[in-house]
Amino acid sequence: MRKGISILLLLLVSLTAWAEERDWLRDGLEIPDVEVVARRPMRDIGVEQTKIDSAMLHQNISLSMADILSFNSSIFVKNSGRATLSTVSFRGTSPSHTQVLWNGLLINSPMLGMTDFSMIPSFLVDKATLLHGSSSVTESGGGLGGAVKLATEPTAEEGFGLHFVQGVGSFWTFDDFLRLTYGNGRWHSSTRVVFSTSKNNYRYRNYDKKENIYDAEHNIVEQYYPVERNRNAAFRDAHLLQEVYYKTKNGDRLSLNAWYTNSYRELPLLTTDYGSSPEYENYQRENSFRGVVGYDHIRTNWRVGAKAGYIYTWLGYDYSYNKVATTRSRSRINTIYASVSGNYSFEEAKVLLSGDITLHENFVRSSDSAVGYSADRAELSAVVSARWQPIDRLGVAATMREEMYGQEWTLPIPVVAVEGVVSQKGNIMLRASASRNHRAPSLNDLYFRPGGNPDLRSETGWSYDAGISSEVGRKDIYKLKVSASWFESWIDDWILWLPTNKGFFSPRNVKKVHSYGVEAQASLSVRLAKDWRLELNGSAAWTPSVNVGAPISAGDNSIGKQLPYVPRFSSSVTGRLSFRSWSLLYKWCHYSERFTMSSNDVALTGKLPPYFMNNIELEKQFSFRWADLSLKGAINNLFNEEYVSVLSHPMPGINFEIFFGIRPKWGEKKR
Amino acid sequence: MRCLRQISVCILAVLLASCMRWEYGLTEQFDATANGVFITNEGNFTYGGATLSYYDPTFKSVENEVFYRANAMKLGDVAQSMVVRNGIGWVVVNNSHVVFAIDVETFREVGRITDLPSPRYILFASDEKAYISQIDSDRIIIVNPKTFQITGEIICPMTTEYRTGSTEQMVLLGDYLYVACWSYQKRILKIDTRTDKVVDYKDIGLQPKSMVADKNGKLWVVSDGGYEGNAIGYEPAKLYRINPENLEVEQTFALGLNGSGNATRSASRLKINDKGDMLYWIDGGVWRMAIDAAELPAEPFIRPIEGVNRSLYYALGVAPDTEEVYVGDALDYQQRSIIYRYSSDGKLLDSFTAGVIAGDFCWKK
Repeated sequence: MRKGISILLLLLVSLTAWAEERDWLRDGLEIPDVEVVARRPMRDIGVEQTKIDSAMLHQNISLSMADILSFNSSIFVKNSGRATLSTVSFRGTSPSHTQVLWNGLLINSPMLGMTDFSMIPSFLVDKATLLHGSSSVTESGGGLGGAVKLATEPTAEEGFGLHFVQGVGSFWTFDDFLRLTYGNGRWHSSTRVVFSTSKNNYRYRNYDKKENIYDAEHNIVEQYYPVERNRNAAFRDAHLLQEVYYKTKNGDRLSLNAWYTNSYRELPLLTTDYGSSPEYENYQRENSFRGVVGYDHIRTNWRVGAKAGYIYTWLGYDYSYNKVATTRSRSRINTIYASVSGNYSFEEAKVLLSGDITLHENFVRSSDSAVGYSADRAELSAVVSARWQPIDRLGVAATMREEMYGQEWTLPIPVVAVEGVVSQKGNIMLRASASRNHRAPSLNDLYFRPGGNPDLRSETGWSYDAGISSEVGRKDIYKLKVSASWFESWIDDWILWLPTNKGFFSPRNVKKVHSYGVEAQASLSVRLAKDWRLELNGSAAWTPSVNVGAPISAGDNSIGKQLPYVPRFSSSVTGRLSFRSWSLLYKWCHYSERFTMSSNDVALTGKLPPYFMNNIELEKQFSFRWADLSLKGAINNLFNEEYVSVLSHPMPGINFEIFFGIRPKWGEKKR
Repeated sequence: MRCLRQISVCILAVLLASCMRWEYGLTEQFDATANGVFITNEGNFTYGGATLSYYDPTFKSVENEVFYRANAMKLGDVAQSMVVRNGIGWVVVNNSHVVFAIDVETFREVGRITDLPSPRYILFASDEKAYISQIDSDRIIIVNPKTFQITGEIICPMTTEYRTGSTEQMVLLGDYLYVACWSYQKRILKIDTRTDKVVDYKDIGLQPKSMVADKNGKLWVVSDGGYEGNAIGYEPAKLYRINPENLEVEQTFALGLNGSGNATRSASRLKINDKGDMLYWIDGGVWRMAIDAAELPAEPFIRPIEGVNRSLYYALGVAPDTEEVYVGDALDYQQRSIIYRYSSDGKLLDSFTAGVIAGDFCWKK
């Protein structure tokens, strides 16, 4: 009821505001007829994507990509606080159905099949693109939900540059960012360092347990909900990113990207934990290196490129209680990567052909004190696509991907897409696509000891979507983009890890899932008055994701029900109001109630009510002859909500962080 | 400025739609005087979703989440087992490091034992002394149930040091406590409760887990046989009869080869009726065998319920008074389990839903 009223209220006020805004736009600024803003590049034919620019990515140094995606897209981000496992899922699918590429390199863990977005500081990314559904196939197979493309880019500045940001926040949180750059006509170099540390020991009222007060006969005479600290939650993350770019005389480009991460993270206690041993330890460590070298030979109508990369990841997990119950788990993953790609444009025929062949060879060694496994797997993927624009207003695309996992070839993964401009006045475009996709089991799914299941089949799916978009604006006055798409996908042989009678979990192909729904996005950038600018970005998704498989056994009540922990509705809005050197950023996101049971029963102990979050930032920039300075204050959880995002994992109340930034001006710089 | 006003209205709308509301602190009064059965529901690991259900077979009525409803707080993470003694129910909650004591009629908490490394089962030697076994530990913790205090520990010799050892199900015969050492172990321990010292031990099959004593004072143990790739081996599960005097294996019955993934066999949950002459266990279906049988029965006592897939039974209990058999099907382990109640001759009497991953049954009397 409450949710309904809230949504209605929002819609009502938004519509009212929009209607009035139209009047204001017409009356106040005397904006003439809209004009077509830009022509869509051929490589984007049939692609549904959400782009997140560097301004959004570089909001503040304390944010990870998980935070950015929470507030700038409608995809579902699941985490339990800062520096905790943060997973991302599109369109009602699971986190392992999201492929993540960093400068072309697939960085999903070959062991787990997923990516922890809390391990990716947004300041290390210059461009992020979300590829929804079948649009991911052009970049990678396995993205049954979609893909996230992360990229770094050379700075436009020439000469030496330095940018340093110091953040100090609640719970003894310190964030540091340093970037050193150098650029001239040919060379660009960038070195970025991010260091974050926090005790993360926020206070919260624990409503999941009570403290007892006993009398002398050990009878309980009083109980109360204690105020506790988030225990064992400290973290210390360090990242070093080195980039070198070189452009040859004839325009060829060479690039090197090397990213090192060192992380120590404690795993917070559950709200239901009654242990208080000082000898408790529960933490994970990660050392990883990701490196990519690339070469691009670019000519007027064709391009070839080659990339090679390497990933090394060391993961350690340590648990002990009172020096008694102990686990020592260690994993080493080595991945070798190579890719060759190219495209050719027949300009007269308005045809763009492209192809890509990629190899990832994974070597995994995983062990704890008792058991472990070693596995190697080559993953070869090749894709060819053709895009054709027979007339200006129509584009068609066909893509075919083929993959090999180990010794097994997958069925071909085809995508067909068509799009057309139906009204040039509003640049209104319709788009539709259909594709097959599949995801091979991860190495843990197959070989983990105990529980790995070598008999698992790949998850396979078909998806279809159709969308409409419009983009209008007037230079230096306003720009408005809106889009909406309907999607539908069927995924067979969905893999789930389930407990066994033997005390461990084991994966099985258990479900068939039908996910469908609507995704909508809108962005508005408008100059309100002299020196005033407003940018609004909003997204919303309705994503039923329903188990339509056969019952596990008699009495299975999960058939026809929404998948657990997948919200039906999600939405986010960010608004930035700028006045000269002042900037106010407001961020809001919402997830609807998430079921914790596959039967969608709502239990007193298993409730995850709708989630709303409000954050705000205020920034002032100062420009001196010798340096640009910035001062920013951020308030998270503005209304001090008491809430959980994952059961039994408390989230912090209102908290603050201030940031001081400096960019010295070392001589003249050209842009 | 008109625009700013409109923006303010939008922001206000967002704020109004941005409050989360939780309800806490509401407790219910229960008066469960009849002779019912508790079901401990593990819940999903690390989600703190363990619950306690109570079923009254007379009225075929079930109350779920009774601990939460009576106490307005969660039971914890992974409710492993429960024992009733003198009107007090002792619920062992593994990953919350706690054992709760509750009144079995009101379900209200009367006390708790905290700071336990990894508790699995509790066994009473007297009103003032109980033993709590620990998984991933070579210890048995000694507690005083009257004061809810830890009073000592017994360090147990393990077959292997993997995961620091494991102590699992326990049986008390006279002055001796017998312990099955399960995870990555092969061992049965014999402990003198007067001195709390290990006086004997014996290695049997891989991973002995369930243990009961029959009317003749013999121990019966099911070892699950490990799993493929296990550091200490992999073999078919076995059922043993053991002489408690010298820990010699007197009889061995080979059960199915356990598996993971899509496997349907997984021997576990050995139980015995109140008279101590009939054994029950899960191995695909529910099996029943008299203690003096020379060989295993050819067919299970209760077959898995056939559907598109077969039921994978997870919990088993035998009513002490009626010898009715309660079987829990955890389904996909993400929804409420179904409990099937069978008569002593195998007829289905009732079925009901309990909590997520029903794991153990405990009768009030």
